[in-house]
Order: sequence, then structure tokens, then C-alpha cells
Amino acid sequence: MSYEIPEEEVAQDFAAALADLSMNSRYEISNLTVIARENTASALAISEALKSHIKQTSPAKKLPAFYVLDSIIKNVGTPYTLFFGRQLYSTFMEAYALVDNNVRSKMVEMLKTWKEPVPGSMDSRPVFPPEVTRPIENALIKARTSFLQAHQEQTRSQQSVMGRGRPMPSSTPYRETPTPPGNYRAPPPQSTPGFAPNYPAQQYPPPMNAKQYPPQAPPAQQYQQMPPNGQQYPTQQNGYQPHGLPPRPPSQQYSQPPPNAASWQQQYPNQPQSPYQAQPPSMGYASTEDSLAALNSDIENLINESKAEWSRNPHEVSFQTKLKALFDLQTILRSQTLPPDQISLIQNQVAQLKKAPQSAPIMQTPQAPLPPTPVVATPAPAQQPTLSSILGPGAQGALAALLARQSATPQTSSAVPATIRSPQQANIPPYQPPPSVTPAATPIPDPNSLLGRLRAAGMLPGLGATTSTPTPTVSTPTLASPPFMNTPPTSARTPLGIIPNDVVLKPASLKIPRPHLLAGLYEHLGAPCTQCGRRFQSDEEGKKKKAAHMDWHFHVRQRMDEAESRGQHRSWYVDELDWIKSREVEGETTTTTDPSQNTSAAKAAKKSKQQYIPAPDDPTLASVPCPICQEKFEMKWLDDAQEFVWMDAMKVGEKIYHASCFTEATKDVNTQAKRGTPEPVLGKRKAEDDGFAFRAKIKSEA
Amino acid sequence: MSIPGLGQAAPAAAFSAPILEAPVAVHELQANSEWRFEVEIGEKIDVKILSGTAEIFGTELAVNHLYTFRGVKSSIYTWHGCRIEVTGTCEEYTAEETPMTQYVNTHFALEKLRDEAAQNGREGPRVLVVGPTNAGKTSLVKLLTAYSLRMGRQPMVINTDSREGLLSIPGSLTATPFASIIDVEQGWGSSPTSTSSPIPVKLPLCYYYGLPSPEDNTKLYKPIITRLALASTSRLTDDPAIKATGMIIDTPGVISQGKGGFDLISHIVSEFSVNTVLVIGSERLHSEMLRKFSTYRTSTGETITLVKLDKSGGCVDRDETFTHQTNEAAIKEYFFGNARTTLSPHTQTIGYDDLLIYKIREGIYLISAPIVDPSLHSIAHANSFLPGGVEETEQGLFEKVEPNPSMQHCILAVMYATVNDSQDAVRDASVMGFVYVAEVDETKRRLRVLQPMSTRITDRPLIWGSWPEAAVSLVG
Repeated sequence: MSYEIPEEEVAQDFAAALADLSMNSRYEISNLTVIARENTASALAISEALKSHIKQTSPAKKLPAFYVLDSIIKNVGTPYTLFFGRQLYSTFMEAYALVDNNVRSKMVEMLKTWKEPVPGSMDSRPVFPPEVTRPIENALIKARTSFLQAHQEQTRSQQSVMGRGRPMPSSTPYRETPTPPGNYRAPPPQSTPGFAPNYPAQQYPPPMNAKQYPPQAPPAQQYQQMPPNGQQYPTQQNGYQPHGLPPRPPSQQYSQPPPNAASWQQQYPNQPQSPYQAQPPSMGYASTEDSLAALNSDIENLINESKAEWSRNPHEVSFQTKLKALFDLQTILRSQTLPPDQISLIQNQVAQLKKAPQSAPIMQTPQAPLPPTPVVATPAPAQQPTLSSILGPGAQGALAALLARQSATPQTSSAVPATIRSPQQANIPPYQPPPSVTPAATPIPDPNSLLGRLRAAGMLPGLGATTSTPTPTVSTPTLASPPFMNTPPTSARTPLGIIPNDVVLKPASLKIPRPHLLAGLYEHLGAPCTQCGRRFQSDEEGKKKKAAHMDWHFHVRQRMDEAESRGQHRSWYVDELDWIKSREVEGETTTTTDPSQNTSAAKAAKKSKQQYIPAPDDPTLASVPCPICQEKFEMKWLDDAQEFVWMDAMKVGEKIYHASCFTEATKDVNTQAKRGTPEPVLGKRKAEDDGFAFRAKIKSEA
Repeated sequence: MSIPGLGQAAPAAAFSAPILEAPVAVHELQANSEWRFEVEIGEKIDVKILSGTAEIFGTELAVNHLYTFRGVKSSIYTWHGCRIEVTGTCEEYTAEETPMTQYVNTHFALEKLRDEAAQNGREGPRVLVVGPTNAGKTSLVKLLTAYSLRMGRQPMVINTDSREGLLSIPGSLTATPFASIIDVEQGWGSSPTSTSSPIPVKLPLCYYYGLPSPEDNTKLYKPIITRLALASTSRLTDDPAIKATGMIIDTPGVISQGKGGFDLISHIVSEFSVNTVLVIGSERLHSEMLRKFSTYRTSTGETITLVKLDKSGGCVDRDETFTHQTNEAAIKEYFFGNARTTLSPHTQTIGYDDLLIYKIREGIYLISAPIVDPSLHSIAHANSFLPGGVEETEQGLFEKVEPNPSMQHCILAVMYATVNDSQDAVRDASVMGFVYVAEVDETKRRLRVLQPMSTRITDRPLIWGSWPEAAVSLVG
């Protein structure tokens, strides 16, 4: 058994078997799955073997290898899910790049199933957690859109290169230059924001006097060497220091910053805060096309870099997030024509990103080596030391939510800086960006809301004052204050439960109004979802929930749209026993669960007897056996239905199962509330026993 | 590039596109007031909260989201004041005196009981709501459910009132765990369908009583209640989230006003181990209950807390026509979905001989001397393996009938049982779904039925009750 066989040997055998796998052979795949199941002790070695096989094998053999992976994760589950999940992005995308379109679409289908719970399992969590699948999805979306946009982009870049004395268009970072109205009139295009191409974004002049800051500052790297640069801020003369502190005057957003403020901003372009520094649209920009092309290539580079980074550190969530943000940005950039000011905004951020990789060593350690600067008074979430805490799933959810609703918005740009910025933040603790600066110059509402969402997701420091931003159409996940407008202002949230509750079921007690308790139904619950009014706490958990909830709304919409083309019908009610065993999973609240769970759980609970489905037309689908028992379906003509059907079959997600197998497999709700490690046969049996016991109980009590 | 998910408000908006210019009114509601409205069946209004907070039976409404109400008598309450925009015509007025403080406090009192129960590892309160017809029982149940949902609880809602369905059609008794927001536009929401719903679906366990009043046949009603209680208690014990929250039980008004009612109330109380009784709008019922339950102990030895609540001034009488219309709407919704989701039921033609149909005997006196149409005996029931003559000798609850034209446009319940099961087993079985008899063809001895999905139903017994009453034709 597994423990007797050395790990390497198992892996070798496995690899050998894999090498022979050249076609989609059910037998071989299930055989490999069995090997994997029996050797969970060597799971790491096996998964490594499979991963490297996928990487190395010829494109033609990649798909079968993926099927093995798919089969293992669905039939065995953890720990394989864990091991494969780590580098799933690279495994998947690298292969995707090499295979032909036919295989690609198969891979996409497979990926789709990874976002759903394992069919047949009552576990409502998706096969792979969304953190794992989402970057891939985004990459795929990007791949598709970029194809379409390629042409457009090309023209643009051609135009842009012309007449610009840009030395290296491809890698030019956009140096961030907010042009303040005051003395900071930016010099003509070349020196201005735009395109001092070779100016690394990093250039950050040590000099204290912001105003003196010449655009042609010393090389960027310099700034990195000065660890305490964060500390410099306090010493700044610009008088804007107060902005660094939590309460920020909201008004500033829309007013042009006074000269020194501007200079202040300018000084820190490289700093993480920069994402917030929006530039006044008025800036003298180099031509849009020019910047666009540069920008596109910058982003491209960044993507590549981050990919590499991510593959080195698959555990680092921030990289995924970053990558995703980059893709999003790229997509948006390519698919839309943005006003110059927006582009410049993006450029700023990209410039910073570019810098980020260089400082990677620092960033990767959550605790920055730098001693916290004296000013660290900022409570904003962004200041939290760990990247993952900032870029948790909530953030991703928020991003997804963003993406979902933002229509053509340049604002996504802000997403990029946001994600990326976390690494740097260590350097700049004192410098809480003035919130005001953020939405600053952009009159367009969307950016703000986007920022708001990011902020809500904990990716950007929260700004107390952005109230003006939220547009009704856009739903902001959890902006602490703004969405709240429909509730009476409350300063602080009291955690539920602390509120004294003295109500008893006595007429007199019931008649006394208790506004403080009532707050427990409103303010204390957090801000409401704009679509259904459901409230979410503004703490981390609440944010995650809300992000997941917004995702859920999004998915439902999507699914309803898809479903519109097909006929829909009401399902049968569940049978007593299934009902007793089913659990309401709050799909929309748990981050880990796929939004579909509610319905799928219900579906799963459906009675299986006498179920049939129309025999599928698609020959490939028709040849797939039941994933549980691996036996083919029985086709017959059904008079009642007036068509050929598969008896005892049901479709769950994309897969077709024997209804009986499926019910069998879904019985283990109780014992397997969470899909654990290899699903032991024993566990299943136990669950069945439970079931019988139940039936017996019901019978006897009845 | 189109980014999906943009048109959040689109679905509601799509249906609301008015052909005629509908009147738009903006109402300014003061804090703690209630805007009550009645929309005629077949009419609709669109409501949008412009600012402030508002809730419908405890479920908070989203600001700037378009809500559409069709054929409903309902109300919007605000604790903090709000502005609402109403498009369309309805009867409406604003009330400032409401028992909402009492109701919300009841909720908080229950919350306290839930916390205490959790601390002691016991089950959350089982709350029974009683009161005469049209006293606002169902509304209170909905309100308490919604509030507890907002606090993150998972209440189990039991409907023992067959006049109205809860996530099912009338005639059925259901138990439903709630974990997600109640649909404010469509009663309680929807049971599962093959598609997704913008409001998560709820999963009811359904039993069929098939008569409008429990007193029509207590010999059928009681065992079904027992069965319902058994299943819900099993779920409750098993499911920690529900256990912590407890149950909220709605009752038919008739048992709170008739003479024989108390017997049924105490049956429900004991079957569900009720420990909290809320009496709405009847002083007399309250004192009567107080007297009878003062010494009562539940199976776990708890005493019963009894409290009287005021009836809301907003309660309106629903006349027979309205009830009939809502029943019909519920049946339509079961098969065809609602404005948001269109469902396509399956039509099937079944021979007389392939069906086993039990008709519910009405009136408790009928059981002793069933009058059976002699012609029935001559007909061989293909799927019936009951020994010959059972139907005459058994003093069953059901009478086995052959399809006949009077069945047209009626609802039959498909039971989770087999044709070989005894009548008691059929009675105790839960409902798989309902079929609608679209057409009875006497000459060809065939029935055309509408069923939610294309599953074979001939291997299951069907129950034919007199409630809901025969609807108008659902299919053209």
C-alpha cells in the first residue's frame, strides 16, 4: 500500500503511466486516478509528476493529461487540489498557449467545471477555490479580448511612435506627473508626465523641497536605496502633511491642489500613494496614442514579469491578484478609448508597478525591513503588514464585482495600483495618501466608485470622505460610509451582541421602543447591497461576504441569461429524507462556496429515481460514461417523452450522472459536510447507515 | 467588449415598461410610519425607495432598486423615514399607528431566547402564531422570519394553513428552512427551478392536505401535522443553524375562532414542542389559551410563554374572490413561473388506466360508509396491486377514483410513494409535485396533464383534493 512504496517510486510509476497516455482513454485516466487515490501519501510527488508531465509533453497529449488532473481533483480531492492549485495558473496557461483551439475550448470547459462544486458531492465549494481559478479566467478573457483588440492597438501604436522622440517606447514607464496648477506647470510634453520615457518611474528625488523637484530627477533606483524615504514625508515643508492623517478633507478631491500640495504629490509619484494621485485632466499630455502604445507594452511587460514572479511564488496571493488586475487593466485599455486624463492615471500606476518588481525582495516579505516611521498614525487597512490580508479573497471578489459592473471604465486602472501597491506600502507607512487626491481630477463617477470598491475590499486605504462618489448605478461593495447614506449616520459600529437586550415576551416590555436594538437591524449590520438590500458588516469578514455576494448576483444574472435560451422548469420537491439531510448553504455569503450551491444543492437533493434526460446530441458527450461508476448510460425510447432518453440519468452542471449513483454519492452530506481528503469508502458507507437509521427513525416514530 | 452583470435593475425595469404613461407619485414617509397599498389582481405598481430606509414585512428594500408588485395587499414600513416613488395606480394610504414596535420587540425577545438556547445547547424557540383570520398572522411570521434572517439566523418556517401555500400551492402544508432573503415581490420566494433566481430559492418540504380548513377532515389533518412535525424536528435536531434559531409556525385562522379549534392548536403545540405562542388580535383567545396552557409542559419540560400582540390596523379582509384569484395565481406561478422567470411545464397524455388517483374524503363522517360508484369495480387498475375489494372494506381517508370530467382543471398532488403503498403510507408521504389536469378525454380515456418536468408519474399515487378549487384553464 501506499506507505510501503517510496514516494519517488510511486511518482515514477505514475509518470511512466502518464507518458503512455496519448489519448482520452477513460480506462487509463481512471486507473491513474485510482493510483492517485491510493497513494495520497505521495500526493506531492504525484502531483509534481503530473504537472511536469503536462508541461513537457507534446501539445497533443496535454489534454488527456489535464483530464487526469481533472479526474484526480474531482474524485480524490485534497490534498491534490492543494498541490495542483498552487501552480494551476502556470500549468494551465502554459499549456493553453501551446494547444490548438479545439483543445483550448475543451480546457475552458474543464476550467468551468472547476468553478463549480464537484458534481455529485454535497460539498458546495468549487473544485478549486476561486482564488485559483479566477486568475486563469481573467487571463483567458484577456486572451480573447486582446485578440480582438490587437488590430486596433497596432494602429494606435503606429501612430504614436511617429513623431515622438521616444527612445524606447516599449518599456517606457510613464513618469507620474500630476500637473498642479501652480508653479508646477509641467514642462512641455517631453518632460512632462507623459513621456519622459526613460525616466523610470522610480525617480524620486531625495531633495526635500518638492517644488524644486525637477522632472529629470536622478534615476529611480536611487529612491529605493533610501529606505526611510517614507520618513521624509513628515519633514516635508509642503504643509500638506495633514493629509497623511486619517481624516482627510473631502473637499480636496475636487479642488485643484495648491501648489505645494501638488508638489507633494509629485514627489511621491513612485510611492504607493500615487495611485491616489489623480492628475488633473488639464495636464499637458503627450498624444494619447503615444501614451497608449507605451502603456500597453508596459502592461504587457508587467504581466510577464508578474507571471514569472507568481510562478516562483505560487503561494503569494498578491501575485495572483496583481496579475489579475493587470489583465483587467489591459483588457480595458485595449477595448476602449479612454480620455487622456484617464490614460495618464493609468500610466502613473503602471509606472509604479513597473517599479514594484524591482523592489520585489522587499515587498515579498510582509514585514518590511523598514522601521515604521513616526507618523504611522494611519488606520487604513492598507497599512496592514501582510499582503495577503490586504489582497485576500475579498479583494478579488471585489475586483470581480467591479469588473462585472463597470462598464467601459478606465478606472480599472486604479485597481492595478491598488493591488500592486501593497508590496510597497512597507516603505511608506507614514504616508497615507490623502484620500482627497484620489478621485481628484477625474470628474467621471465611475473611477471613484471603483476606488471605493477597492477600498472597501481593503485594497486601498479607506477614505472617510469620498462620499460624493458613489453613483447609484454602481454598487460599492462595502464603502464604509457612502453607501450608508440611506441610514442615519452612526459613528461607530457596535458589534452585535454587545447591545443590551432586555426585551421579554411581556406586553409591557414589548411596547417600549428600543432604538438601540433597532440599530441591530440596520446600521450595525453594515451597508446594504444595492441590489437586494441585504446588509454586510464593514469588517474584513463582512467585506469578503459582500464581495462573494456581489459575485453571486453577477453569476445569477449570467446564468439566468444563459438559461433564457433553454427551457426552464420547476423542479420536483425533495423527498422527506433528502430534505432532512439537506442544508441551507448560504451561497451568497460564504466565500468558498460557489454561488450556484443553493440551487445545485437543491438539485442534488432531487429524487433520483426514474429520472432521465434526453440523450445528448453531442457525440463526445454521448460517449462519456457516468463519472461515478464509469459505466455508459442506457439509451431508450421513451414514449412519454417522445424522444430517446438516458434512463436513470441526470445532468449536474456540465456532467451527466446516473441518478442513482449521484444520490448515492450525495448521501454523505452529514459525514462529509466539508469535502475532506480522499473520500474514503468507509465514510460513505457510514453515511448510508445514517440514512437508514433515519428512515427507520421516521418510520418508527410515525 | 461587453461586461456582463451590468443591468442589475434591468429585469424589473424590463417588465415595467409602461405602455401608457403610468402616474408617478412620490411619497414622503415619516419615521415609524407605514405606507399601505393594495394592487388589484392583474395590475402592477413599481416602487422605488429614493432615500431613507424601508422594509416590507421585515425585509429591507434596496435604495434605488425598482420593485414591482402585482395583485397584492402589502405595506412598506420605515423606521427612519424614507421617500418612495410609486409608478402605477393602487389604493394606498399612510398610517402612523402600527404595532411594529411590539413586533420588532418580539423579534428581539426571541433573539434573546435564541442566545440563551444556544448557551444551554438547546433548541431555539418554537414559535406558534395564532389568531383569527385576517389578523396578520402570516405577515407577522414573515416579519419575524425576515428579521431573524437579517441577524444571520436560519429559521424554519412551518405553514399549517392549507388555505394559502407557502412556497407551494394552496392545499399543501410545508416546512421550509430559510437562509436567504425573502422575496418581497413574490410572496415568500420560489421553490427550486432548473434555473437560477435573483432571490435564492427555498427548499420546502411539502405535504398535501387538499382541503381548505383543518376542520374539514381532522382525521387527515392531524396525521399530516404529525408527519410534518416529525420531519421538521428531525431536520432541526440535525441542522445546527436551524436548531439555534428554532421554528416559526403559521396557523390557519379558523382554528383560533372555532369551537373545535383548541384541540387542533394543542395538537400542533405538542407535535412541534411549541414553547412560545403569539396570539394576535384576540383578547378572548389569549385568555382561553392562558387558562389551558398555564400548566402545560412541552416534551422537554419547558413551559409555554404566551403573549398577546396587537393586530395591525393594516390588516384587510380578503374576500373569497381575492382568495380565489391568489390561489389561481399561485398555481400559475408553480407551473409557469413569475414575471422574472418563465417556466415551461411539460404536457403529457396519460391513459386512465395508468393512473392511481385517490380522492380525499371530505368531512369526518364520510369515512364509515363510503359510497362508491359501482362502476369503479369493473375497472381494472393496471398499476394497482391492491387486493380486490380493498376499497370497499377499508375505511380509508381516500377514495380511489377513476379520472372523470369533473377533474378538469383540478390539481393533483404527486406523492413520494408507490402505487402499492397503503393509504396511510400515501397520506404520510411528502409531495413530489403537482400536476394540473388540462383536459379529460372521456372517449379516448385519456388525461392531458401539465407537470413541472417530464418525469414519469404513473408509478406514483396522485391525490385529488377539493382545495385549491378547480382553476380556470391554464392552458389555451
